[in-house]
Amino acid sequence: MSNTQFESCPYVWPKADFSRVPYEVFTDANIYRLENERIFRGPVWNYLCHEVELPEVGSFVTNWVGDTQVVITRSEDESIHAFENSCAHRGAQLVTAVRGRAPSITCPYHLWNYSLKGALTGVPLLKGLKGKGGMPPDFQKTDHGLNAMKVEIHAGLIFGCFHDTPPDLKTFLGPHSLSQIDRLLVQRKPKVLGYLRQRIPGNWKLYNENVRDPYHGSLLHQFQVSFGLQQPTMKGGIKLDAELKNTWNHSILSATDKDNHALVAQAYEGTGKFNPNMKMADPALIHVPLDLDDGYKTTILSIFPSMVVAQVDNTYAIRHLRPKGPDAVELHMTYLGFESDTAAQTQDKLLTANFIGPSGYISLEDGEALRLVQQGVKLRRPGGHEVLEMGGVGPVQDTDYLSQEISIRGFWQYYHHIMGWGNESPSGDGQ
Amino acid sequence: MNETILEVSAFLYRYAELLDGEQFDQWTQLFDVKDCQYRVLSRENQELGLPLPIMGCFSHGMVCDRVAMLAKGVLTYRRDRLLRQVSNVQCHSIGDASVNVRANLVVYQSSEEGVSSLYMVARYQGVLARAGNGWRIKVMDVVVDSFGIDTMLAVPL
Repeated sequence: MSNTQFESCPYVWPKADFSRVPYEVFTDANIYRLENERIFRGPVWNYLCHEVELPEVGSFVTNWVGDTQVVITRSEDESIHAFENSCAHRGAQLVTAVRGRAPSITCPYHLWNYSLKGALTGVPLLKGLKGKGGMPPDFQKTDHGLNAMKVEIHAGLIFGCFHDTPPDLKTFLGPHSLSQIDRLLVQRKPKVLGYLRQRIPGNWKLYNENVRDPYHGSLLHQFQVSFGLQQPTMKGGIKLDAELKNTWNHSILSATDKDNHALVAQAYEGTGKFNPNMKMADPALIHVPLDLDDGYKTTILSIFPSMVVAQVDNTYAIRHLRPKGPDAVELHMTYLGFESDTAAQTQDKLLTANFIGPSGYISLEDGEALRLVQQGVKLRRPGGHEVLEMGGVGPVQDTDYLSQEISIRGFWQYYHHIMGWGNESPSGDGQ
Repeated sequence: MNETILEVSAFLYRYAELLDGEQFDQWTQLFDVKDCQYRVLSRENQELGLPLPIMGCFSHGMVCDRVAMLAKGVLTYRRDRLLRQVSNVQCHSIGDASVNVRANLVVYQSSEEGVSSLYMVARYQGVLARAGNGWRIKVMDVVVDSFGIDTMLAVPL
């Protein structure tokens, strides 16, 4: 289906540096349909799963690429395949389990059978019975395979693309993602410790903004501040890929931060929120040492359109966004340990899991914040814009500070481009 | 046994009432101070044999911290009114002093404008120990069927 509507965006982007974003992009069902066509089925690499989740021949998992559900399999020759979870015959959903192992895939309806590579291998009553019925003579099974994605793997991460001309995967990820993925997921072999799922009543792009927004970190998430773990005065910064769509946010806790109370008190002026002297009844959680001895307290890789690789303290997780219409998104987290972890290190990771996810001391507010934005955007009169000026306006660039929303503007610039609306806001005033 | 199941049911109703009423300090007093564990687990992880909890408190101090964050306003969360319904209580004695407990839980959420919806479907799996005339929690696992958590899970189940 070709979609010729919205050759230009129906809403106004009044600033060429994307410091204003029309709120309708979070609520308009037509925009959402267009995103599925131009982004999720467009020339991007969508995260599908990690190789360790497909340990043997016949292993499969399901995932979502925008609105499209896909099955990812490991076939007899160990190669990985991904295809739509819908029968080539009459469209029935093929696999209902989230994950499992099977020698082939059989549709429950008329028992059409597919190989692990998605090729149609069996059609019951293909020739009919006793010379009657059956498929027409020119029916070719090779014409009726499952709709497949192109698949590429980097560092154990499996990506898929529906578009005819996918970008080069390493270029798409960019240099900072490549080096940080090596640091987080390659130097030790990951293993899955569990999954966390959260249904957030907010648009999928709000989460993309959230993970590119270190400004909110120590303001919304008071846990870290209350126990002196993270402060707005903390060092860190952001680095972007050449297309500005992928962000590496990082923060580093230095020894002097805890002494910066005067600066911190100033940062929280008027909020009544600064209460840095709380004590925990059992502080074991905040005393878990970092596995990696390189000083990074937080590393958030936000990879367009729907993937985040995150180290928060001593937690490691792959987060994935599964949009559920314009008003909701499932945030799915694959929480990782490492094959080399000792029993004590694994126990530490089960403890520090309290930091993240739907009950996380430094993440549970994000679900609420996104809900409040979606609610707030819907209750406004039409035609409004969000304001993204923290950290500076003008060209999008790397920073060595955290109080910024610049990387959010990078996301929007690339979004505007891939939606086919141009590299600059057409109505931009050159700011 | 009939008497025990009545006692255990009453204990779980009290547990639910304290959480519904945000009487968090009193809720923590239902746990064994010296040795207890409280976890919220996703049924998905449990069936896969994966150890990750959604919430994991491995000492009484951690149980207290979990709710202290709420009480002190450290966490920002959806302030819907929650109503817990506990049913299908079963228990099996382990010796004289403790009992294995199982029960079902549903939790409804009601907004400031009076709109209610189902928030959570879960099962309690726990071990209670006798303490004087009452019981204390040694282990409480809340295994959640609705592990696609609606927005967030701030308040213990």
